[in-house]
Amino acid sequence: MGGSEERVVAVIMVGGPTKGTRFRPLSLNTPKPLFPLAGQPMVNHPISACKKIPNLAQIYLIGLYEERDFALFVSSISNELRVPVRYLKEDKPHGSAGGLYNFRDQIMEESPSHIFLLNCDVCCSFPLAEMLVVHRSYGGMGTILVIKVSPESASQFGELVADPVTNELLHYTEKPETFVSDRINCGVYLFTPDIFTAVQDVSSQRKDRATLRRISSFEALQPANRSLPSDFVRLDQDILSPLAGKKQFYVYETTDYWEQIKTPGMSLKCSGLYLAQFRHTSPHLLASGEGMKTAAISGNVYIHPSAKVHPTAKIGPSASISANARIGAGVRLVNCIILDDVEIKENAVVIHAIVGWKSSIGRWSRVQASGDHNAKLGVTILGESVMVEDEVVVINSIVLPNKTMNVSVQEEIIL
Amino acid sequence: MKALILVGGFGTRLRPLTLSVPKPLVDFANKPMILHQIEALKSIGVTEVVLAINYQPEVMLNFLKDFEAKLEIKITCSQETEPLGTAGPLALARDKLIDESGEPFFVLNSDVISEYPLIEMIEFHKSHGGEASIMVTKVDEPSKYGVVVTEESTGKVERFVEKPKLFVGNKINAGIYLLNPSVLDRIQLRPTSIEKEIFPKIAAEGKLYAMVLLGFWMDIGQPKDYITGLRLYLDSLRKKASPKLATGTNIIGNVLVDESAKIGEGCLIGPDVAIGPGCVVESGVRLSCCTVMRGVRIKKHACISSSIIGWHSTVGQWARVENMTILGEDVHVCDEIYSNGGVVLPHKEIKSSILKPEIVM
Repeated sequence: MGGSEERVVAVIMVGGPTKGTRFRPLSLNTPKPLFPLAGQPMVNHPISACKKIPNLAQIYLIGLYEERDFALFVSSISNELRVPVRYLKEDKPHGSAGGLYNFRDQIMEESPSHIFLLNCDVCCSFPLAEMLVVHRSYGGMGTILVIKVSPESASQFGELVADPVTNELLHYTEKPETFVSDRINCGVYLFTPDIFTAVQDVSSQRKDRATLRRISSFEALQPANRSLPSDFVRLDQDILSPLAGKKQFYVYETTDYWEQIKTPGMSLKCSGLYLAQFRHTSPHLLASGEGMKTAAISGNVYIHPSAKVHPTAKIGPSASISANARIGAGVRLVNCIILDDVEIKENAVVIHAIVGWKSSIGRWSRVQASGDHNAKLGVTILGESVMVEDEVVVINSIVLPNKTMNVSVQEEIIL
Repeated sequence: MKALILVGGFGTRLRPLTLSVPKPLVDFANKPMILHQIEALKSIGVTEVVLAINYQPEVMLNFLKDFEAKLEIKITCSQETEPLGTAGPLALARDKLIDESGEPFFVLNSDVISEYPLIEMIEFHKSHGGEASIMVTKVDEPSKYGVVVTEESTGKVERFVEKPKLFVGNKINAGIYLLNPSVLDRIQLRPTSIEKEIFPKIAAEGKLYAMVLLGFWMDIGQPKDYITGLRLYLDSLRKKASPKLATGTNIIGNVLVDESAKIGEGCLIGPDVAIGPGCVVESGVRLSCCTVMRGVRIKKHACISSSIIGWHSTVGQWARVENMTILGEDVHVCDEIYSNGGVVLPHKEIKSSILKPEIVM
C-alpha cells in the first residue's frame, strides 16, 4: 500500500557526445541534456517531475558523457531540489536496457521496489505518480507510458497494441513500415526489479547462440542478432517485443503533450511547451510584465533574473531569455531562446530562432525563420559568439560558432 | 634570430577540419601546417618562434611540447585575450621579440604555404637598409587582395591599395615580413591592422621595401585553396627532385605517401595526392587531387578526386567522392555512396548519396 519500505529509484538516460549529431550546432558547445528549455537545463524537467514520486530515494543519470561534464550540474541540482542525484558514466554503449542492467548494483543499493526509466530527450508532463498507482494495480513487470499520435507520424516511433480492458501490452514493433497502431512508446517506463532478470536472460541467450558451433541456416541469415555483443540489450526490440502478450507489460496512456527533442528546432518547440506548462504549475517562474519599468510581455515568457530587458522591448509569446542577456530598446522577440550573455541591440527583431551564448545581434537586424520546427532550416540557429551586424537579415539559416554575419543570408548553413 | 607566427583565430573557413583541431595543426602534405613554417625558420637559424594565438592555447601548447624537443627550437605562445588584428599581436609579444642583439625578426602568417626564401630576404633587408621588408607575390587576380605598388628598380614600396577596382599592379602582400625592432615602437597594444595602419606609415617615410617571392605561394585557409596549394607544394618538391615523392607503376604525377601507409594492388594514385600516416588504401582505388589524412581507410574500388578526407574516416567500397567533398574527423561513407561536394561534420555516417554540394551536420 505504499508504505515507507517501498522506495522508488528513477533513472534518466542522457545519451552521449558522438551519438546526437542531430542536435548540432548547439551540441558543439554544450551537452544536449544541459541545453536550456524554458530557462532550465533539459534534464531538469524530468528530474523535477521525479520529485512528484512518493518515496523517491535516488535519481541516477546514466550516459556516455565525461563525468566532469555533469559534476557541477549534479551537485547544484541535488542542493537546489533537495533530491539526491548521481551521474553514472557508461564505459561503452549498452543499449537502453543494457545500460540499466550495467548499473544494477547501484540502482538496487537501497532495495527499491520500483524503478522509473526516463529518456532525457522526451518532452512531456511526466505523470509518474499516476503511473505508479496503475502499475501496482496491474502487477506486471513494467508499465509503459504511451500516447496516441496521427497514423502518419506513428511509424517514426515504437508502435504498441494494448488490450483496451486490461491495458496489457499485446504487441510492440519498433518503427514499422506498415501501420500497426497509432499508440506509440513515449520513452517513459516503470519497472519492478524483475526487469534485471529479463535483461540477463537476453544476454545469456545471446551468449549461448554465439557459442553454438552449428547454427541453422535460417539463423545464419539473421545479421542483426549476430553482430550485437551479449551485453548490448535494447529495451524495445529485445525485451518489450518478445515479452508482449505474456502478461508482463502494461500501458498507461497520457493525453497531455509529448515530443522528442532531437533537433534544435524541436528544442524551441519544447521550450514553448514547458513555458505553457509553467503557466499552470508554476506561474511565478514566468515574466508578468506588470509595472511601469518592465517590458511588454505577451504569452508565456521566461526571463532570468540577471537579464536586462529595456522597457520599450516587446517579448513573447514563447520567449526564453537566459542569464546576463541584454535586450535593448525597441527589440521584438517572438518564439525564441536567447542564451546567456547575448546582446540584442536597439530595434532588432528575432522570430523563431535560437541565439547562442555570447552572440550579438545588431541594431535593426532581423533574425528569423519560418517556424517549422521539423524542417532542417525551419528555425534559425546562431551558435556561440555569432555576431550579426547592424541591419543584416538572417532567415532560415544555421550559423556555426564564432562567425560574423555582415551580409544578409537566406536558407544557408554558414560553417 | 627570432620569429613570430600570426596564428589568430578560429579557422572557421577550414571547417569542418578545424572543428577537431586548431587550424595550425591541420595537416598539409602530411605535416601540421605550422610545422612547415617552423621548419623553414629553423633551417635558417631562427632560435625562437613565438606563436600569436587567441584560441585553444592548451591544444597548441601540448603539441608544441612534442616538437620543441624534436626540432631543438624554442617555441612559446603569446595569447591574445581580445582579437588584436594583424599588428597588435606584435606589440603583445614585444618582450619576446626584442633582445640586446637588435636583430630584425621575421613575421609569418600561419595560413600561408610558400617557398620561404628567408636567407635571400635577410640579404635583401641588409642591402636596402630600410626599417622593414615584406615579401610580395604575383597573382592573376590582384583585386581580390591588397596590392603593393613598388618602385621597379629598388623595390621601395610606394603605396598599398586595398582591392583596387582598376589595375594598379599585380603584386600582393604575401604575409611574410622581416622587421627591425624599431617597428614595434610604432604599434600600440590595441586592435591594429599592419597593412592598413603600420606599413603605409613606414612606406610614406620611404623605409619599407618589397621583395618578389619567386616560387609558389598559397593562402590555404580555405578548402579550395588548400587543394590548389597541395598541387603547388608537390610541384615544388618535384622541381627540387625531392626523394619524398612516391614512385611506382601505380603512381601518376606528384604524390606523397607516408611510409606507414599501405597501398593495395591495382590502384592508380595521383596526380597531386598526399596520403598520411597509418592510412590503408585497399585494392583497385583511384585517388587524384586529394588529401587523405592520418588513419583513413579507403576501401576497394573507391574513387576520390578533388577532396579532403579527414582523420580516421573511412570511404566505402565503390564509393565515389569528388568535387570539393570535405570529410571531417571520423566520417564514414558507406559502400557505393556518391558524394558531390558534401561537407560533412565530424562523427557522421553517410548512408545516402549527396548529389549536390551540401553541408551535412
